[in-house]
Amino acid sequence: MNASRDIAQDGSAPFKARAVPARRSLGWLNSSKGLGIVLLMPALMLVVLFFLAPVVLTAVFAFTNMSTATGITGGAYQVSPGTLRVLSDRYGMGELAERLGQPTYIVDEEGLAALEEMGIEPGIIAGLRDDHLGETYSSRREFEREIRDLPDRPSTRTVKQISAEFSRSLANARFRNAGALVAAAEAIDPDLGDAEKDALLDATYTGWTWTTDNFRRLASSPQTTRVLLNTVFFVALTLTLFNTGFAMLLAITTHYIPERPAGIFRIIWFLPRISPAVIYVLLWKWLAWDTGFISAFLDNFGVRPRNWMLGSATNAWVFVILINGFVGASMGMVIFASAIKAIPQSLFHAASVDGAYRWQQVRHIILPHLKWPILFVTCYQTLSLLTAIDHILLSTDGGPGGATEVWSLWVYHTALNNYAGNLQYGYGAAMALVLVIIGVVLSLIYLRLFNYNALIIKPRIEH
Amino acid sequence: MTGHLKSWPIVLALSILSAPLVLMYVYLFIDTFTNAPPGSFIPNEFTLEHWTFLWHTPPGRLSIWRVTLNSLMFATSTATLVVVVSSMAGYVLSRLNVPARGFFLAGVMVLHAFPAITLIVAIFLVLQIVGLYNTLIGVILVKAAIDMPLGIWLMKGFYDTVPWEIEMAGIQDGASRFTVWRKLVLPQVKPGIFALGLFAFLLGWGEFILPQVLAPSGNAQVLSVYLAALIADDNNFDMALFKSVGLFYIAPVLILFFFFQSYLMNIYGGGSKG
Repeated sequence: MNASRDIAQDGSAPFKARAVPARRSLGWLNSSKGLGIVLLMPALMLVVLFFLAPVVLTAVFAFTNMSTATGITGGAYQVSPGTLRVLSDRYGMGELAERLGQPTYIVDEEGLAALEEMGIEPGIIAGLRDDHLGETYSSRREFEREIRDLPDRPSTRTVKQISAEFSRSLANARFRNAGALVAAAEAIDPDLGDAEKDALLDATYTGWTWTTDNFRRLASSPQTTRVLLNTVFFVALTLTLFNTGFAMLLAITTHYIPERPAGIFRIIWFLPRISPAVIYVLLWKWLAWDTGFISAFLDNFGVRPRNWMLGSATNAWVFVILINGFVGASMGMVIFASAIKAIPQSLFHAASVDGAYRWQQVRHIILPHLKWPILFVTCYQTLSLLTAIDHILLSTDGGPGGATEVWSLWVYHTALNNYAGNLQYGYGAAMALVLVIIGVVLSLIYLRLFNYNALIIKPRIEH
Repeated sequence: MTGHLKSWPIVLALSILSAPLVLMYVYLFIDTFTNAPPGSFIPNEFTLEHWTFLWHTPPGRLSIWRVTLNSLMFATSTATLVVVVSSMAGYVLSRLNVPARGFFLAGVMVLHAFPAITLIVAIFLVLQIVGLYNTLIGVILVKAAIDMPLGIWLMKGFYDTVPWEIEMAGIQDGASRFTVWRKLVLPQVKPGIFALGLFAFLLGWGEFILPQVLAPSGNAQVLSVYLAALIADDNNFDMALFKSVGLFYIAPVLILFFFFQSYLMNIYGGGSKG
């Protein structure tokens, strides 16, 4: 960074490109602006598709009641005993519900056509059309009596077949769109009012709708407070103990030992970071499982084997913080170590000559130089820890009994994966929206912390 | 600088602190090749029985080689995508006179710090709507997009160290800005491209939560999801098998890290998530 700043400020006059008779077809590739826009395009597309759009969509989804039950792409209209009950209870249209729920037989052209297709004798069909077209019957028996009385006298089996074809009951029927449902309802009850139609559509719709209930639910749920406290506890403790505290310890101690062992320790403490989360957490499970290392080791001292990771809430927290902390420590270690390396050696020599103890060197030379790196690591790791999910998910999965459930894991359990199988996308999006807002705010603060103007080098080719 | 001060107490203290980690990783190797009597951790026989998963596929699971191929495709595709997009955008932010350059640069920094994992609910729903759910292509695009801000940031840093004189000379000779970038500047940042590619590959190889959510089952399963499903299956608890699959999974990471640790430590320290 310093080098680039030097280049930017070394004061030589901007370089003017000679007008080049480039191939005309590639003219746009020959100007800074044209080429710049072309080269930026793929990155911009990815940003729009996978950052900007999801941020907006998270907010949009947060205002819906999308779930596994409602589906994502919209729904159908399903009449069932349940929806009819909704119609009578919530909308006070018990009479309508009863009418729609009852079996109804209507003699119409559609049914007659179906009969023709089934190969029913033409005489019977003609008879039905002539005598009964347009009539409605509210019971099967009544309708079948009329059929039996037809001049052709169909057999009992045929009567049943015929009556089934004219059954126009709405009960348990499913319609792809509102128009089909309204048409079917009007066939049963021709003078349906607008209010009744709307109520029917609302009650039978299986898709998602707009709502603000998610936020109300989030604000009133007692689990919100609990998860929030868990999250704050987890972030604060991991951050202070490991991501900065232990990282600083590693950086300072490796500074005071010879280069070879120092390198070995740095590699050891880097293993958690380079290891894929699944295998890294598996190793901890091996340590803590009821047949694992700790249990087997303590067995020699008469301690009963048990699952040390999930045995109690305290144990679970200890392991969650250790697992995440060991990963987090390496970033601070590298950053602090390079900051310590940048301290002029003369300061240490002077201190040695004065007979300063190591602790005094640390206190008066190293720590003051680590102020900015600590701020950087704290800021950065707060965001990472706030949204860290892999390691907790794989180790305790929020257990035992939700004791280690943190906010990001709660989102996952609500919207993406749970035992009940009912994924509440809308509610989960509302929870995620909280994190998104915190993320945006903290990222902007993070940006303010850097003097990023110093990073912009004015292009020295003006063209 | 340490002069009259002894270092062995520090080495001893660090060794004790590091013991659990060393123990875990050493036993990762030991347990896959040996058996130990129950209740003991001192092996008494050498065996390869824990590695039968390599040629014997249990019913209801994909072949390990198929899953490995998926992981390989996932990691290489994301790495390629990240490298291509970042080496283009990084050059613009480092060198070219585009409108609102400062704004783009600030945007990259914000995106770099922003925890993209919070967007996973929306991304999950979008992939379902457009039909890329449970496909490798979907996860590859998402993972590449999430890693890209870091890639652009790193590439910009690498471009910043290339002397301007190279470009000026190219333009003097009548080459277009595109040719200058492609033929003169890009070769200068080859080490950076290599480091970023390696880093993005390792990030993709280790990624768990994205494939778990966006492509959990079917033929798109990657090694991390495969191993997690194996461990989560309560009916077949076999720690030695888990560790063998785990060692198979982590071996490329350890090998690459062993050879290129100086490259990687710098990048990881420069701010990856975690």
